[in-house]
Amino acid sequence: MKDRVRGRWMAVAAAGVAIAAAAVMVVGTAGAGTKASCGSVTLNEQAWAGSTANTYVAKAALEKYLGCKVNITQIAEIPVYQALANGKTDAVLEDWQHVDQYKQYIDKQKTVVFGGPNGVVGHIGWFIPAYLMKEHPEFKTWKGLKGKETLFKSPESGSQGMFLGGDPSYVQKDQQLIKALGLNFKFVSVGAEPAQVARWSQLYKQHKPVIFYWYTPQYLNQEFQLAEVQLPPRFKGCVDDAKAGGDVKKYRCAYDKTIIEKVFSKKFASSGNPAFAAMKRFSWSNADQETVAKWIAGDHMKPDKAGQKWVSQNAAKVKKWFGK
Amino acid sequence: MAVAEAAQRIPHPLPAPWWRGKSGAAVLVVVAMLIAFLGWRNQGHWPAALTWNSVGPHLDRFQTWLSDNRNVPDPNLAFRAFNGLANFLDHLVAWSTRFFHWLTWAGTVVLGTLLVLRFGGRRAALGVLAAFASFAALGLWEESVETFSLMLAAVSLSLLVGVPLGVLAGRSSRFNRAVTPVLDAMQIIPAFAYLMPVVILFSVGPGAAVVTTMIYAVPPAIRITALGIRGVHPNTVEAATALGSTRWQVLTKVQLPLARRMLLLSVNQTILFALSMVVIAGLIGGQGLGDSVTNGLYTDPAMAIFAGAAIVIMAISLDRATEAMANRTDPAHRHLTADRSRQLRTYTAACAAAVGLTVVLGHVLNAGADWSRWTAQDWLRQYVQRGLDYVQNPSTFLFRDLTNPTGNFIVQHGIQPLRSFFIETPWPVTLIGLVLIAFLLSGLRPALIALVMLFVVGFVGEWTNAMDTFSQVLVATVLTVIVGFVLGVWAAENRYVSRALRPINDVLQTLPQLVYIIPFIYLMPVSGVPGIVASVLYAAPVMIRLVQRGIEGVSPETVEAATAYGATRLQVLLKVKIPLARDAIMLGVNQAIIMVLAVVVIGGLVGSGALGYEVAQGLQRNAFGLGVVASIAILALGITLDRVTQGRVRARTQA
Repeated sequence: MKDRVRGRWMAVAAAGVAIAAAAVMVVGTAGAGTKASCGSVTLNEQAWAGSTANTYVAKAALEKYLGCKVNITQIAEIPVYQALANGKTDAVLEDWQHVDQYKQYIDKQKTVVFGGPNGVVGHIGWFIPAYLMKEHPEFKTWKGLKGKETLFKSPESGSQGMFLGGDPSYVQKDQQLIKALGLNFKFVSVGAEPAQVARWSQLYKQHKPVIFYWYTPQYLNQEFQLAEVQLPPRFKGCVDDAKAGGDVKKYRCAYDKTIIEKVFSKKFASSGNPAFAAMKRFSWSNADQETVAKWIAGDHMKPDKAGQKWVSQNAAKVKKWFGK
Repeated sequence: MAVAEAAQRIPHPLPAPWWRGKSGAAVLVVVAMLIAFLGWRNQGHWPAALTWNSVGPHLDRFQTWLSDNRNVPDPNLAFRAFNGLANFLDHLVAWSTRFFHWLTWAGTVVLGTLLVLRFGGRRAALGVLAAFASFAALGLWEESVETFSLMLAAVSLSLLVGVPLGVLAGRSSRFNRAVTPVLDAMQIIPAFAYLMPVVILFSVGPGAAVVTTMIYAVPPAIRITALGIRGVHPNTVEAATALGSTRWQVLTKVQLPLARRMLLLSVNQTILFALSMVVIAGLIGGQGLGDSVTNGLYTDPAMAIFAGAAIVIMAISLDRATEAMANRTDPAHRHLTADRSRQLRTYTAACAAAVGLTVVLGHVLNAGADWSRWTAQDWLRQYVQRGLDYVQNPSTFLFRDLTNPTGNFIVQHGIQPLRSFFIETPWPVTLIGLVLIAFLLSGLRPALIALVMLFVVGFVGEWTNAMDTFSQVLVATVLTVIVGFVLGVWAAENRYVSRALRPINDVLQTLPQLVYIIPFIYLMPVSGVPGIVASVLYAAPVMIRLVQRGIEGVSPETVEAATAYGATRLQVLLKVKIPLARDAIMLGVNQAIIMVLAVVVIGGLVGSGALGYEVAQGLQRNAFGLGVVASIAILALGITLDRVTQGRVRARTQA
């Protein structure tokens, strides 16, 4: 008898849950509709803020001007080439010169195509906090570092100074540079970018000396005052990265400006989708990218909102992408 | 003969002092190594003549070949088969996501809650409801549904593959021996190393994510199932055979039902292992919470913490729900009268009707697939951000006087000297020394395996890196063993401690390491320390659990006997319980080492360098060969340490 009562109670409870859920639903409902004239486009977003910025700006523009349904994938830098080759992703809007992949997928397999530069020019170099540059104006060029390396001592560098290396996934040649320039630095990698930022920003906040691999455009450059140490453009002992197609005999030292490329899936390029032409014309500046990245990473604006905001504020620029 | 053996086993009446025994010899070996280190520092690097440098390039060429042949317009049959499989898996995940969308968010909540309520009871159902509520509150509903769909596919396929293989391994010891090294490799080789080949074969997307997850989640399913089948008492099997049961009948009517608890444990562990792959699956198109963690780490640490919390909540609620459902439906404890089962049928029908009604209402009221109206994200963010700001502020007492000096001290006086000892001692001395220690600790066979494995490490050109990683693994293991042993014993002796530790252990095992490492990269910003902290936090729960179980497993009669002779509680613990739990403790040490090695790559991402860094680079900088070579070295270190710590126990259990 007790069991039967309990069973009935449970049934009532179950129905109660359903009704309560329905009641919550009335207030919680959010409807969304998309008009589709270009079909759907898939863009790939990388982990860093700059990539989020250009991907979501492109998304907002494609939605506004072509009524596309834009999907976003988040696949790591190298595996994404396979995604492009299979047409699982249509476009990568920020590619930092993955020369090996260009050779394999663009030149040889012809499954991926270049989409032209995205307007942002990347620059890699050795950076120090601005306060340190003020105290030691000689650090303007690498020669000023000579003999003063021990200023950058750290627990793991022993008697040498510490050079803080970049994210292992980024293009870099600092170990080679340190050796070629004969600097008494120990190359220390603290791992992925978030860990590297943690390391130098803690030292920055304590006003301690630190020298590290860094790059522009980067939204953190608006938050921290950094200064660059000039590396020699050519120096005996430096070797070009022969893999990058450089001339080994010319002793090139400082990092080149990096032209940020857009790359597209061959399938997308030959699909006749109007979104392809628009994305091919997509171009903006370092300042634009840093602004949007700051909104997203610094001010925690939702990426979709940030993209829409920039697109509506910069209608003239955006219209050009769509040939208007 | 037996008498003679037994006589030999009687312990020496007066045990020799320790320095005359094996520990003394081991200390001697270490002293010899130290002398060699001081005398011939940096004078013996692994010779190039003993190195096969072309492994990496060969592997790179293989990868290029694979990709070139895969991406032609008409790939051959084998590649088409992979395509088919990938498409099938993609569809499976997509279908299940669409199913949840079709249910609408309300239907999903009601279905999940009532399903657990019907089969698992009120407590578990409340847990599931709370989990759903927290996904909504964290503003991660959609991501959670995506991850859940992925896990559903990965876990069911892992069990589909793992359980039959486990049954096979349980019934045939030859198959078991053959499959064990493969399972070791699957668990120790870092996922980063095989991510690229998986991507080439299966492309990116949920399908590839399922495959990657399965590689890590199938081994526990096989191992635990096999353990369960083997745990069925041979007498029972014999009795069934004597009564004329066929092999199939023995399996389905005797072995599987009796191994029920272990089978359910394997389901449970498969879920937890699969969930620990969410972040890596995100790198190749797994979507969901994994992406939120990765992106959050770069641009918004608070978001990474939220996504990590959602993963933990999903894991714990699934764990508790499956456990409750398993207990409630256990036929051994359930005696159904006709009346009771009629009631249960009505109850089931009522639940189904409630779910149906909610779905219909959901569609009528246009509830939508995603809960997106209200979230507590911004409210929670204030607190999380405040915590992060505190951690990121170098002028606090915590950082300035506590964590920063501690981290620096560990590096300068622990990690650095040990690292240079292993790297700079001439290699033949290190090699022979380690093999001798293996011999003294475990015997001839493990020593020979250690010799071969260490030689492999040098042969693939990773001697220096491997010694670097080895020194860090050693520090992490020693810390894990100390922490795990103390807490495990304490938990076994005190049930309040035990109850408090369980949720902490669950969180540490399922929270992505990259998330709980966030505070440490700020608080102890010095390379090596965050990696070691990550390993200790990841490996300690296993050690704690095994030690606790070992000590609790000591038979109460023995304890009673000791107490009757007047032993104090401390004496019982030190002289009876701990010695009797030795095997479980040694297994804990062994598992701790394996887990420490499993996070070497995470260490590479937060500054531990060496092998972990190379594996990470292998994926991220298109150096497939380098990544595989470093993984081989990690595997070789793993096998060495496993055999050396496990040798004694195995020898004893086999005797």
